[in-house]
Amino acid sequence: MERFQERGAAGRPLLSVVDDDESVRESLPDLLREFGFAARAFSSAEEFLSSDCVDGTRCLILDIAMPGMSGLDLHQELKRRSQKIPIVFVTALRDEAIRARVLQQGAAGFLLKPFSDIDLLAAVKTALRAD
Amino acid sequence: MTEHLDTRDDVPLETSIPEAGAPLDSILRTEELQRRPSRPPAHEKENEALVRLTSALADSPNTIFQTLAEIIHDITQCDSAGLSLLTKDGKTPHVDGRRFYWPAIYGMWNPHVGGGTPRNFGPCGDVLDQNRTLLFTHFERRYPYLMPVSPAAEECLLVPFYVHGRAVGTIWAIMHSDRRKFDAEDERIMASLGKFASSAYQAWMRIEDLKVQVAEREKAEAEVRQLASGLEAKMRRLVEANVVGIVMFNLDGAVISANEAFLHMVQYSREDLASGRVRWRDLTPPEWRDRDERAIADLKTTGVFRPFEKEYHRKDGSRVPVLLGGALFEGGGNDGVAFVLDLSEQKRAERALRRSEAILAEGQRLGQMGSFCWRVATDEITWSEQLYCIYELEIGAPVTLSLVRTRVHPEDMTLYEKMLEQARGGGDDFEWQYRLLMPDRSIKYLHAVARAIRGQDGQLEYIAAVQDVTERHLSEEAFNKARSELAHVARVMSLGTLTASMAHELNQPLSGIVTNASTCLRMLATDPPNVDGARETARRTIRDGNRASDVVTRLRTLYSKKKDFSPESIDLNDAVREVLALSLSDLQRHRVALRHELGEDLPPITGDRVQLQQVVLNLLRNGSDAMNKIDDRPRELLIRTERYEEDHVRLSVKDAGVGFEPQAADKLFEAFYTTKPDGMGIGLSVSRSIIEAHRGRLWATANDGPGATFSFVIPCRPEGLADGETGIDPMDKAPEAA
Ligand SMILES: Nc1ncnc2c1ncn2[C@@H]1O[C@H](COP(=O)(O)OP(=O)(O)OP(=O)(O)O)[C@@H](O)[C@H]1O
Ligand SMILES: [Mg+2]
Repeated sequence: MERFQERGAAGRPLLSVVDDDESVRESLPDLLREFGFAARAFSSAEEFLSSDCVDGTRCLILDIAMPGMSGLDLHQELKRRSQKIPIVFVTALRDEAIRARVLQQGAAGFLLKPFSDIDLLAAVKTALRAD
Repeated sequence: MTEHLDTRDDVPLETSIPEAGAPLDSILRTEELQRRPSRPPAHEKENEALVRLTSALADSPNTIFQTLAEIIHDITQCDSAGLSLLTKDGKTPHVDGRRFYWPAIYGMWNPHVGGGTPRNFGPCGDVLDQNRTLLFTHFERRYPYLMPVSPAAEECLLVPFYVHGRAVGTIWAIMHSDRRKFDAEDERIMASLGKFASSAYQAWMRIEDLKVQVAEREKAEAEVRQLASGLEAKMRRLVEANVVGIVMFNLDGAVISANEAFLHMVQYSREDLASGRVRWRDLTPPEWRDRDERAIADLKTTGVFRPFEKEYHRKDGSRVPVLLGGALFEGGGNDGVAFVLDLSEQKRAERALRRSEAILAEGQRLGQMGSFCWRVATDEITWSEQLYCIYELEIGAPVTLSLVRTRVHPEDMTLYEKMLEQARGGGDDFEWQYRLLMPDRSIKYLHAVARAIRGQDGQLEYIAAVQDVTERHLSEEAFNKARSELAHVARVMSLGTLTASMAHELNQPLSGIVTNASTCLRMLATDPPNVDGARETARRTIRDGNRASDVVTRLRTLYSKKKDFSPESIDLNDAVREVLALSLSDLQRHRVALRHELGEDLPPITGDRVQLQQVVLNLLRNGSDAMNKIDDRPRELLIRTERYEEDHVRLSVKDAGVGFEPQAADKLFEAFYTTKPDGMGIGLSVSRSIIEAHRGRLWATANDGPGATFSFVIPCRPEGLADGETGIDPMDKAPEAA
């Protein structure tokens, strides 16, 4: 983990993953690192907010349904704090209404779990460009 | 002679006594019997004879006639002795028979045994007509039919033989020479033997009859036993499968035996059970005792109790929610059997749903959205906090329709009343916009979407989402947005999200699988390859694969309790791809090569996505299982979708497995039919119910080569398919399981 943070410091964009599902927290950062990013994972919105990564995060990969603060809540909270981190939402719930809503509220991307590595990379790249 | 006499059955009776026959009187000597000097009664011999007859009856009753003939021969010192009995079938005596047969003959006429005559072709007919003993001399003078029978009968003594009080024939003794003449003692002793033989014969018939009855009874019992052992095997499989808890109990509160599933649920051990510590009365928390008592009352009156939900204490004092149903054993008095389903998972899903409702409440606050619930019958109305804010009323104040009316804009009042009236009568979902006139004369624009649902008591209720759209009401765009949001909120609120939460549970591990698999590939593609990293991600892939299959297993059990049916528009190919993603690791593990040919011009279909996916999953699993032991050819599985006729789709799964016997084709679909050691045998029966609920057909065909193909066809737009219908419940189809 330290190694990757160092790499982050060495100029690789830092991506933060916030998801209550452990297997996502375990697998997604590895894949992002394979893509050449630095990555960190958080199990809840609260944990992310209280970490020291909020300022450094270049793109947030955010689960929607989580206990406590939901992904949507976190989005609102970041807006309130005027933190303009581009967000790629990921969710296992197939719901067109939610997709339309989050995109309309300014999300950079929306992926349904399970998603392919190519879709993920495309979404992250779009998000980073928007930044 | 036998043959020649036997073929004369068709001779008309009128012609039986030829014109030339001597008159009866001329050949009868009966009166002489009393006049002839008689031997003294040979009582000792008679007794011996009766003993012989008795033991013949005991040892080999079917030879009773033969023994009788021998005894007559012996006792009367005649030349031939035997019986002539009326018969219909040539084998057994029958009072209405039209011919005589000779079941036993001893002495000189013995070669004729088995032969016979038509009824009126011999002296026996005369004996029956007169119903008394007759003594004949040379009866062939009257009955030319008997002329060829040699040697001729100098004298013949015939005694009627009765069965059930009716004469069915004669017993007779013949002298072929005048070596001796019959006398009164011969007549007496033959009558006595005849009586005995008759009752012996009746006893024998009764025994035969009993034997048939006993045999029939035994057969019936064997059938019942076989049936019972089949049921028992099925029951045992159900018990051992540990899908549901099974408990044998008595009304006193004891658990007599239980399967692993039940013990696991309540976390007691086999030893606890054996020691009698596990008592259902003690497992039941106090507030559930009344409910138990009601079930017991039902048990006592009807022998069964309908399934109900309750809780048990686990050993550690925590509680487990269960669904319980059961019955007393037939005639078993106090003992019964019950099934117990663990509802923890379901309850967890419900909690998750409530949690998402809580999240929703938060969303309402942010989106200035309120909600209410209106029970039409009682006019009970519950408002969310946000709705009080919108109406600018004190939070918690009791809400009545008249209170609401004080806020409705006077110009919208007619519309409002009309809407209420419709809602009361209708039960349809509705959506409307109206204005409020606030105390400060300001106007608010509200938009409401209401869904009609049936509450727990079956009463009509509306659940509605209300949004304050004042700020945006002029903007068409904003209105459209609100509309789709509201529709969504209303949908989420109206429950039925179990399906979604299941899909959610499945997609989580799937996501892990896909991500890990991609990572693994990428790690291996770097230079040098990161083998350790790849190994680690591969390990996670497998773990997530197992997790996914656990979810599927749980889905299956959950599914069996789930009755709602949510049709939606589905791209069958998409649905199949999802299942393939889920099954891939499993199939690879079993070295199955999967090919797919997904038709390109497939029309969308209307149906329940998750249920159809279950069918596909089942067919794939079965196909893979069928190839488990195939090692001499590739384990190939082909899944194909295609348009069928104009408005149907067809899906088939073809394997190269062991196949099935043609006559078993329908058996496969029976609930609990399985040939697998760990199978439940419900896959195909559930699948068929699902397909039939979609108005389609599911069937199996044997391949030209090895293996089988399972296919279904469903109409794209099944008629009469509505929410909530279908009684899909595999347990319904299996009365044995009840
Ligand atoms: N593709 C197939 N080839 C040959 N036989 C099959 C095939 N599919 C099913 N069968 C037979 O039909 C039986 C019933 O199948 P079904 O799916 O109903 O139950 P199961 O697979 O035995 O158990 P479960 O579905 O609970 O896992 C199987 O046990 C098997 O004997
Ligand atoms: Mg099966």
